[in-house]
Amino acid sequence: MSAWWIVMRKELLDAFRDRRMVLMAFLLMPVAVPLLIAGLGTIGAKRQAEKLEKTLELPVIGAERAPNLVAWLGTHDVDVMPPPADPDAAVRAQEHAVILRIDPAYAEDWRAGRPAAVELIYDSSRPMQSGTTIARVRALLGGYDRQVGTLRLIARGIHPSVMQPLRVGDRDVATPDARFDFAQQMLPYLLLLLAFIGGMQLAIDATAGERERQSLEPLLATPASREAVISGKILATAVFTLLSVLTTLVMFRVVFALMPSAYADLSMDVPWTSFAQLLVVVLPIVLLGATVLTALAAFARSHREAQGYLPLLMFLPMLPTLYLMVSPVKTQLWMLAVPFLGQNQMILRILRSERMTAAEWALSLGAGSLLVLAVWWIAARLYHREQLAASG
Amino acid sequence: MIEIQGLRKSFKTRSGGIVAVDGVSFAARDGEITGLLGPNGAGKTTTLRMLYTLMAPDEGRVLVDGLDPMVQPGDVRRRLGVLPDARGLYKRLTARENIAYFGRLHGLDEAGIRARTERLGAALGMQDFIDRATEGFSQGQRTKTAIARALVHDPRNVVLDEPTNGLDVMTTRALRRFLAELKAEGRCVLFSSHIMQEVAALCDRIVVIAHGRVVAEGTPDELRARTGRSNLEDAFVQVIGSEEGLFA
Repeated sequence: MSAWWIVMRKELLDAFRDRRMVLMAFLLMPVAVPLLIAGLGTIGAKRQAEKLEKTLELPVIGAERAPNLVAWLGTHDVDVMPPPADPDAAVRAQEHAVILRIDPAYAEDWRAGRPAAVELIYDSSRPMQSGTTIARVRALLGGYDRQVGTLRLIARGIHPSVMQPLRVGDRDVATPDARFDFAQQMLPYLLLLLAFIGGMQLAIDATAGERERQSLEPLLATPASREAVISGKILATAVFTLLSVLTTLVMFRVVFALMPSAYADLSMDVPWTSFAQLLVVVLPIVLLGATVLTALAAFARSHREAQGYLPLLMFLPMLPTLYLMVSPVKTQLWMLAVPFLGQNQMILRILRSERMTAAEWALSLGAGSLLVLAVWWIAARLYHREQLAASG
Repeated sequence: MIEIQGLRKSFKTRSGGIVAVDGVSFAARDGEITGLLGPNGAGKTTTLRMLYTLMAPDEGRVLVDGLDPMVQPGDVRRRLGVLPDARGLYKRLTARENIAYFGRLHGLDEAGIRARTERLGAALGMQDFIDRATEGFSQGQRTKTAIARALVHDPRNVVLDEPTNGLDVMTTRALRRFLAELKAEGRCVLFSSHIMQEVAALCDRIVVIAHGRVVAEGTPDELRARTGRSNLEDAFVQVIGSEEGLFA
């Protein structure tokens, strides 16, 4: 038996006997992550639907100046309310999403056939909370505008199509799988995060913990080379993490299969072959995480210090998601070679049931392996430092 | 056979460098127990760490059965059974699993590990706790497990750093008997201690270290003769130059 294999087996045995570690990796994370995504997605979809269907409460300033408009709004599921004393403050305080103000000269302008002014008071810095409502009021006012305009044209004997040189139609070519919803945006990040630092407890325990419990010195006095010891520890971390990621993916399918079909938009109904592909995509990240964590644990002077670096590591998988948020770009080949960014793109493509070429696979896996080797070399150098074991 | 020739090692600290080992030379022969005696901080642990390849010497060299650890670290480690100052166990594994792990790393097969574990378990009196997870072991049980783990590959040379630290009288006596057996089997036993009664009771040869140097070497009788003191304790105090650290 090779030394790395012996070390890996022992570390896995040790890890699987740690009830807390097992609970965390195989129960908490696999259940919590899908539930979090499913729950948040459902709540979001529900609120969106409610905002669209619920009677809209709309404070109107000067309602008496435009009785026809107010009556028309009333027939379109809008409950016109008296305005608050200070409309701007009320909107800022989020008491109302939007307030409609009818200009004092509205009636006069209307009768004269001039455009009559109405004003929407809203806070554009809160698109999440009030965006839907504002869009709904805008659409209603636009509808009223067009309706009256059409009537006026007809009254003057002009065909309304005169005002419509263009007729814009929509044709959405997105396949049903490619719809971008909340779950699909969150999934790559959470998957990569789990793959990257899912094995942190094991990795830190296997090096920093081993040193603190004073068993590293005897271990390094055995004939096993330090490269073999570190490889065994890294591979044990990787195997453990990969099993945890696999469990999480399976739980994703289970949780989403149990979701009420009303929110079928959140469908994760990807075929099992895609699951295998997802595992292959995250494999370099799993190995990278295991290697980085082990190097870190060898570099840090204590368990606590090693854990102090974790917030930094959690930020790394977030970078591509943030980058794509500020600059949504078309996938280019070189991106697949960038860790996290490449995997992020590939996960999205697998979820969209897009096919990847052999060259793309080779680039992603090749670049990932090179990076893992580079970090492994650093970790091995750190394991050769005399301070590593001889700290006493 | 362990030979140590002109060993030197210094460490960088924030306030400058300190020389922990400053030209230490001695030999530990097969079939003898050699005691490395010195106050705390004399350089015993650093000397032993260079011997079992954990550290590289600045100057000088070590030979284990004629092999240099800097040239053939793997072969040297195979010939050494080492109980370091740090003797942590894996608390979620049983004592037997702790021993087997090191046996596999030394390249033993499962049958060989089982046979050696039985022998060492009997010699050290470990039958009562050998199949228990080591979490919650007493200091004596931990030390016995660590010694069995260090000797699982039946090494010719046995190096123990302060083996009796924290042990009660009964366990210490059992350990002394065990070291005497190792000697009787013709092995080279080198152990360090800061307790002179222990060294005096067990050792064929004594190497006294203070401030990183060997200040005296010989059999207990030779040391007594050289210092002109009939009492070994007085002899030690005289060669070390002070009582500092001796009784800690």
